[in-house]
Amino acid sequence: MKSGKTMRSVKTASVVALVGALALAGCSSDDGDAGSGSGESSGSVDATIEFQTGLAVDDTEAQALKELAAQYEADHEGVTIDLVPAGEDYEANMKVRLAADDAPDIWNTHGWSVLRYGEFLLPLQDQPWADDVIPSLETTMVTADGEIFAMPTNIDISGIIYNADVLKDAGVDPAGIDSWDDFAAAADKVNSDTVSPVYIGGKPLSAAVADRVVSGTFNDNQLTEMTDGTFVSSAYQEMLDIIHSWGEAGYINPDYSSASRDDMAKALAQGQAAFEFGPSLLFDNALSFNPDVNLGFIPMPSNTGGPKYLVGGERTAFGVSKSSENTEVATDFVNFLAENVTDLAAASSSPPGLTTGTMDLGPIQPSFDEWVTEANTPVVPYFDRVYLPNGSWDAMQVTTDSVITEQASTADATEQMKTTFDNLYGQTK
Amino acid sequence: MATTRLKTTQRTRGYRAKTHRGSGLINLLYIPALILFAIFMVYPLVSGIGLAFTDWNGYSAARSFVGFDNFSRLFTDPVFGQSLVNTFIYGVGSMILQQIFGLGLALALDRKFRGRTTARAIVYLPVLVSPVIMGTMYYLLLQYNDGAFNEIVVALGGDRVAWFADSGNAVAIIVAINSLQFMGISMIIYLAGLQSIPEMYYEAASLDGASTWHKFRYVTVPLLQPAFATSIVLNLIGGLKLFDIIKILTNGGPGYSTNSVSTLISITYFDNQNAGYASAMGVALFVIILAVTLVMNKMLGRKQLEA
Amino acid sequence: MTRISKPLVAVGLIVVCFVQLLPFYVAFTTSLKPKTDLSSQLLPPTEFYFGNFASALGDGNILRAIFNSIVVTGVSTLLVCVLGALAAYPLARRKTWVNKVVMVLILSMIMVPPLSILVPLYSMMSDFGAINTYWGIILVMVTTHLSLSVFLYAAFLRTIPTSLEEAARLDGANLFQVLFHVVFPLLKPVTATVIILTGIATWNEYALSSYILTKPDVQTIAPAIASFFSTQSSNLGAAAAAALLALAPVLIAYLFLQKWFMKGMVAGAEK
Repeated sequence: MKSGKTMRSVKTASVVALVGALALAGCSSDDGDAGSGSGESSGSVDATIEFQTGLAVDDTEAQALKELAAQYEADHEGVTIDLVPAGEDYEANMKVRLAADDAPDIWNTHGWSVLRYGEFLLPLQDQPWADDVIPSLETTMVTADGEIFAMPTNIDISGIIYNADVLKDAGVDPAGIDSWDDFAAAADKVNSDTVSPVYIGGKPLSAAVADRVVSGTFNDNQLTEMTDGTFVSSAYQEMLDIIHSWGEAGYINPDYSSASRDDMAKALAQGQAAFEFGPSLLFDNALSFNPDVNLGFIPMPSNTGGPKYLVGGERTAFGVSKSSENTEVATDFVNFLAENVTDLAAASSSPPGLTTGTMDLGPIQPSFDEWVTEANTPVVPYFDRVYLPNGSWDAMQVTTDSVITEQASTADATEQMKTTFDNLYGQTK
Repeated sequence: MATTRLKTTQRTRGYRAKTHRGSGLINLLYIPALILFAIFMVYPLVSGIGLAFTDWNGYSAARSFVGFDNFSRLFTDPVFGQSLVNTFIYGVGSMILQQIFGLGLALALDRKFRGRTTARAIVYLPVLVSPVIMGTMYYLLLQYNDGAFNEIVVALGGDRVAWFADSGNAVAIIVAINSLQFMGISMIIYLAGLQSIPEMYYEAASLDGASTWHKFRYVTVPLLQPAFATSIVLNLIGGLKLFDIIKILTNGGPGYSTNSVSTLISITYFDNQNAGYASAMGVALFVIILAVTLVMNKMLGRKQLEA
Repeated sequence: MTRISKPLVAVGLIVVCFVQLLPFYVAFTTSLKPKTDLSSQLLPPTEFYFGNFASALGDGNILRAIFNSIVVTGVSTLLVCVLGALAAYPLARRKTWVNKVVMVLILSMIMVPPLSILVPLYSMMSDFGAINTYWGIILVMVTTHLSLSVFLYAAFLRTIPTSLEEAARLDGANLFQVLFHVVFPLLKPVTATVIILTGIATWNEYALSSYILTKPDVQTIAPAIASFFSTQSSNLGAAAAAALLALAPVLIAYLFLQKWFMKGMVAGAEK
């Protein structure tokens, strides 16, 4: 009996060992497989380029890319451009692929060509379009060494976005808003049961508000301190105080916590919102709900005595993977896209990212002409991308959120932000 | 006499010996399953443990070793604590609601009437769609300005409700939606259980003059015991693993207040770019789950014996 | 039930059915309205707009996604049943300490959150060339749903007396004959349960599929529908249309297999 039992356990033990061995064998065969799988399209003529557009499958920009890709394929026999649409989890998806060393040949860098994707992308400063990059993009898209990692098809530029019809009905002149006090007075005027003066999609974009307002509460010295790794609490809290005062005055939409980007666009389109803070894609999205809505934007007031400013940066931009087996073809295709920058920018109703393109902004054109072309308003980069360490966005989101929902005082929220800043700053340097 | 007895013992012995030999071999039957688990779950899980000792941002090549920092942080992180509490609320809350609805519906739909099949199909319908889609549909219904629920509220003379503004409400709504989606499974389990109870038990109870309640309490409930076990386990697993619906409806907000551990791991990993800490959370969650599984296994083992 | 409670039950059932149908009704109205139609979700469209369905079929390639889902779900479910039943048999019949440990390990796999294995799993699969392949996603689906199947089969097996197997053994049947001629036929009802639970879960899986299947020609329905959403724009109408189209095959399957659904669920519940 006894020996029978031990026999059995020996058998089972060996089975367990076998499984372990098989598992290990499975893992160690990785390298071999990777090698054989990768060499398939090293020939120069036949190439399949995986192009992760980062766009929804039926997006207007994606449609424009589809046409251009077909055109390119027709002109270059043997080349296949494999357009891959992105879902909501695009950023997470890219991170997983980069971690696994499985990057697509070309991908959309959506604002992160240097900070996040720089180490994985091919420097493109020698390409024909590199000198034509719009100057306002240079602070964030060109490194100190002069490297540039992506070709920008358009730019993101906005200040305070408004619904012109709502302001007109309430008798507010947007051009007269020069300070946050003026803004509060205007918000007070438009506030009603059906209109939220400030409409914020708390789920994705409460940090977008903070990120825009905060550029006007830091003066130059304080910005230098931030770059050197010292968090300037007073200036940060000043920003939170401004946003908090809107919440207290009842200017913020009641569905703040659950509202999405789509809800923001819809509210703007239907005149349920007077002012919004966010990327310029809110314009296209609002217009997709209501093509007749009158929208515009004004610059952000500064609290430090500086000039009013607009916020802008990289929006859609395409970089080529360093580890691609077809870097030449991929780069050539990106250059081809650069030649068609006007079409691509028009598909997103945004200004082109290259000076060679011409602009077709549709209903936003007057605001752009007034503040960018004529008044030459300074365009500042996104605060977080320059002055906050990589990975701070979510902390900014949550701290702003907790101030708006009264879960934390502005002082506590600032303290929390400082902790995150100190942790992350130490980590990345 | 003596010979026959000998023969029987011999035969029994021979049989036993045979099954023993066979028995040792039958363990081979779970080897294919173990191989799959080893490759696709254990190996990734174990590699995840390694990451928990680093400050990796989740994508770049650079990472450094930070020892047990990520683990010690878990113990003082109120956000992690909250998400742990929420995970149990999602698990236990959905489980309880689904038993109530599932059993109630099963009792109602066990009787014969016209439209019974249609009613069952309607109750079961949401089970057939992905939680991602269910979440999105409910997101539409619960929008502040254009949501159907608020339109109904306004039509009834009420004021619009910001459904997710308060974290308590938001957690409750998430539990309710998960329960509505999957109560069909409980209903079917209980229906099946009810149909396996022989009619004569009820008849006997009637003869004894038992009331409806007594019949339910002393015939139905005891005989549904195994159905309870199955339904409870399935729903508890579903609730504890809840992810998509939270992600879509609140993404953990307001603040971090509606996160489950799974959604918090996702936010920490991808949004905060703190893959090391997220991995430590994953390890902690796994240990907790293992403990829960052990307890459940014990309890179920006992149930099975009783049944 | 007493006379008074009958109308109450009827009202309750009507309310429940209304609540369960409401999301589908709203998805239906949304799918038939253009994006610019901002009328109430509750109102039916004034005129039918088929652009969303065209978009779901065209850009969304939803028919291909349905086909992919059928392949992935079919093969995965079959494998989950076979491997699950095989694995459960020794675990239910021979309760040695090793088998008990194996059982607990397998059970603990049920609740592993997909995200905590995602990155290492993806790296490994990309090294195998398994990303964007049927076999890759099928193996992952089988593994992630196998533990529940082992659990259900083992629980059911414990309720079946061993006398039949012993009798077959005495008649000289070998292990495989016993399994295929005696044990497996007895497992029919629990197999229906496993098919239903695994089938629906695989058909709708999103958490891992959305990473492993990124190309439209291999994508299953959940990631395919999600490709109408991006941080830039989202098209709810087309997504709703796609979701309704993807619901059709499972709904038809449900209506045909209703009896089986019921019988299957008896499995866990009987005895």
